[in-house]
Amino acid sequence: MARVGVFVCFCGANIADFVDVPKVVEEAKRIREVKFAIDYKYMCSDPGQQQIRDAITQYRLTSIVVAACSPRMHEKTFRKALSDAGMNPYLLEVANIREHSSWVHQKDKKAATEKASDLVRMAVAKSIANEQLHEISVPVTKRALVIGGGIAGIQAALDIADARIPVVLVEKSPSIGGKMAQLDETFPTLDCSQCILTPKMVDVASHPYIELIPYAEVLELEGFVGNYKAKIRKKASYVNFKTCTGCGTCWQKCPVKVPNEYNMGIDKRKAIYTPFPQAVPNKPVIDAAHCTMLTKGKCGICAKVCEKGSIDYKMQDEIIEREIGAVVVATGYDLWDPKPYEEYGVGRFKDIITSLEFERMVSANGPTNGVPVRPSDGKVPKNVVFIKCIGSRDEAKGIEYCSKICCMYTTKHTILLHHKVHDSHAYVFYMDIRAAGKGYEEFVKKAQVDTAATYLRGRVSKIYKKGDKLIVRGEDAQIGQVVEVVADLVVLATAVIPPKDNPDLARLLGVSYDKYGYMSEAHPKLRPVETAKAGIFLAGCTQAPKDIPDTVAQASACAAKVCGIFSGDTMKKDPMISTVNNEYCTGCQNCVKVCPYGAIVTEEVPMGHGSKEMRTVAKINEGVCQGCGSCVAVCRSMAISLAGFTDLQIINEIVSI
Amino acid sequence: MDYTKQIQEIASKLFAEGKIDVFVGYRLTGFDENQVPVLIRDQKDVSQLVFNDRSVFNLVNYLKYEHTRNKRVGLVVKGCDSRSLNLLLTESQVKRDKLYVVGIACEGVVDEQGNKMQNCMECVFPDAIVADEMLGTPHEVRKYKVNADIDELASKGLVDRRVYFEEVFENCIRCNACRHSCPLCYCAKCCIDQETATLYNGANTTSGAFHALMTWSLHLAGRCVDCRNCEKACPSHLPLHLLHKWNERVIYENFQEHLAGVHEGDRGAFYKYSMQDPDDFIM
Repeated sequence: MARVGVFVCFCGANIADFVDVPKVVEEAKRIREVKFAIDYKYMCSDPGQQQIRDAITQYRLTSIVVAACSPRMHEKTFRKALSDAGMNPYLLEVANIREHSSWVHQKDKKAATEKASDLVRMAVAKSIANEQLHEISVPVTKRALVIGGGIAGIQAALDIADARIPVVLVEKSPSIGGKMAQLDETFPTLDCSQCILTPKMVDVASHPYIELIPYAEVLELEGFVGNYKAKIRKKASYVNFKTCTGCGTCWQKCPVKVPNEYNMGIDKRKAIYTPFPQAVPNKPVIDAAHCTMLTKGKCGICAKVCEKGSIDYKMQDEIIEREIGAVVVATGYDLWDPKPYEEYGVGRFKDIITSLEFERMVSANGPTNGVPVRPSDGKVPKNVVFIKCIGSRDEAKGIEYCSKICCMYTTKHTILLHHKVHDSHAYVFYMDIRAAGKGYEEFVKKAQVDTAATYLRGRVSKIYKKGDKLIVRGEDAQIGQVVEVVADLVVLATAVIPPKDNPDLARLLGVSYDKYGYMSEAHPKLRPVETAKAGIFLAGCTQAPKDIPDTVAQASACAAKVCGIFSGDTMKKDPMISTVNNEYCTGCQNCVKVCPYGAIVTEEVPMGHGSKEMRTVAKINEGVCQGCGSCVAVCRSMAISLAGFTDLQIINEIVSI
Repeated sequence: MDYTKQIQEIASKLFAEGKIDVFVGYRLTGFDENQVPVLIRDQKDVSQLVFNDRSVFNLVNYLKYEHTRNKRVGLVVKGCDSRSLNLLLTESQVKRDKLYVVGIACEGVVDEQGNKMQNCMECVFPDAIVADEMLGTPHEVRKYKVNADIDELASKGLVDRRVYFEEVFENCIRCNACRHSCPLCYCAKCCIDQETATLYNGANTTSGAFHALMTWSLHLAGRCVDCRNCEKACPSHLPLHLLHKWNERVIYENFQEHLAGVHEGDRGAFYKYSMQDPDDFIM
């Protein structure tokens, strides 16, 4: 005979204000199997838990129902309380009378109380069929995969490697460094970006625990936390990195000129190139799309001039396989293409540039040696208009969210402009100035005073050309008038967007992503670096727009999570997973098709006892199964059952009300 | 439509070449002009085989039992039958290399009174989709059309429809003949018979039979090929097609015009996911 204990929580006033808690207790006591029921102000507190522990021994309880907040919140807490009292933790059921009753039925206390009682009745009925479950141990491969070699990936890789855990760092471009390597100075302290980044890049290359695979992409990831297998395609670089010394003769002699991505296409690079002089690894690759030797079979100059004979035009893509225990995704961001802003003349007027183009121009290692110039005539601009929120916070043309970093980098740009062109004047069209961060508001205030930039609150409606000037017409909402600014150069602060292939990568990894293409964290507040898939973590802008300090913090958080997984030789796993009853399984493999984790495979079993004839049945890989229950839903023969949510438990719940 | 001679020849040849162990076809009942399925295991019995517009049963049903399992089987399939065969192949229940399929470009079959069957008049795929050898002249592609009785169902509201279904199916004696005659009901132990399935024993609000039928029809939703084996087997003469055709229509209209068993590898609307899937009709 089942002996159930019911513990109803007030949650301070959260539940008690809208649910008659003593009444719920009273109702619970009427249930035949309930041998003990009590309420308490905060069940999750130590005295609350103590009541549970005491009641378990005193009343010889066989299962426990806690009526409180969502199990997402405190299921673990109460399971531990059961464990401490010597009871199997999976004999706990949580009736969520907060999110499911008191919070959503605040206008009708009577009905909310009735519903809370029903929820308790269901939980009691379910708990009677609860079985003792035991955590599963799975072995762990102690090696981390970091996808993306920007500042997020670099930081995560270094932190993990410093804990003496091998790291495989995969970067899709020929050099690590990411977007940060393109920046000149960084807000709010105006540190030189290269000076703080490049030493870290060198550390990555020389770290004994980091295997750097540049110019590569992840093709496949299968398996489960602690036991992933990654397939990585290393793109053909046509240069043997082992013998190449990076002397640079090849790219000096190469006759083919291609717009330079690193400098936003402002100048040209060669078809054999390193992205920038401080690149890591500092070895060139051949751009197969533009090299005339590879496209037309003519040239071959680089091979001729290379003293080491490192050029190999016949090099093929290489598939590398690595066993991995955890993954950090740090794919970074892209910038929104401002083409839809036709009224600004984007694309028609050469002197409208994006912020990153401006950043390259004012960079010391940039295409113009640190001096901003007008793309149209190469003159140094005097009046520069910065327009913020291009694409950001624009439901009509761009995206709904705030890109977070544009207010700060535009402020930085006004300072850089002031430094480089002393007699210049900056105009900033803005919607709001969002400067929430350590030292950010002070930075903006100081910049406004130092640069004497004109801040105009309002949107720009039109940009048109007059002579060689651009006339920027916008609204100054603070004086309520239309203003026109004569500009030499217009800089658009374009929105941060996720990389185009983020959703593809997310699907490949089995991670969910939002409508914009950012990968989704497991919980926006309490699990911001984890994904819903165990062992895969998010760092930097792959999750949402972030500035460098936040990105670095998140990357280090990822490293801590990865180190946590690797802290033992095996890891514990929730036992609430699916099992197959071979007798009922027909081998139709619908479950294999719907499993989002690839946790189901097939196996051959004898037709009957001692039979030589074989038949196919489904088999669950318990390390991979996350207990989502999709297979249970599609199994027509009801051969699959989910521990903790068996058919009997669910039917008990339904029948109880 | 009479392919008796051709089928006898094919079966005879297959036995002579040692390609099959058993041939599944039709024979006359022996007391009227109607037919029943027959399993031929010897070349000398081939003369029993017939095929004409009274060859109504879906023989694919015989692939789920022990007498054909792991044997090399020859069988005759019409358009609808071949779609159920396609599903069995997709669901890994039979192995294609063990089958020799004689496909028919079907002109439609008749009921015991000699009237053309309703499903044949609405048939979209009369030609066998899976076949090693085809008999008859192939048809042009036809358009899927919802029949009148299903339109009538749609005009009823949710509550009325339920009341109507409960009335129509109250004569069910739960003999499970529908299940046994269905080629797609191949589970070793039907969920309805399982110990934990207490709901199918009925409740105060619904009869066990109705609940069982509903579950059955949902397990066939997106899979039923409208062969009407179940209706032919039902001793209470229940219009079981109403359940299946209703589901078929909902799925056709909502899940990219899905029809069961038309494409190999297509498991049906419940077992695949598309970003275009709607969810507005569920609640």
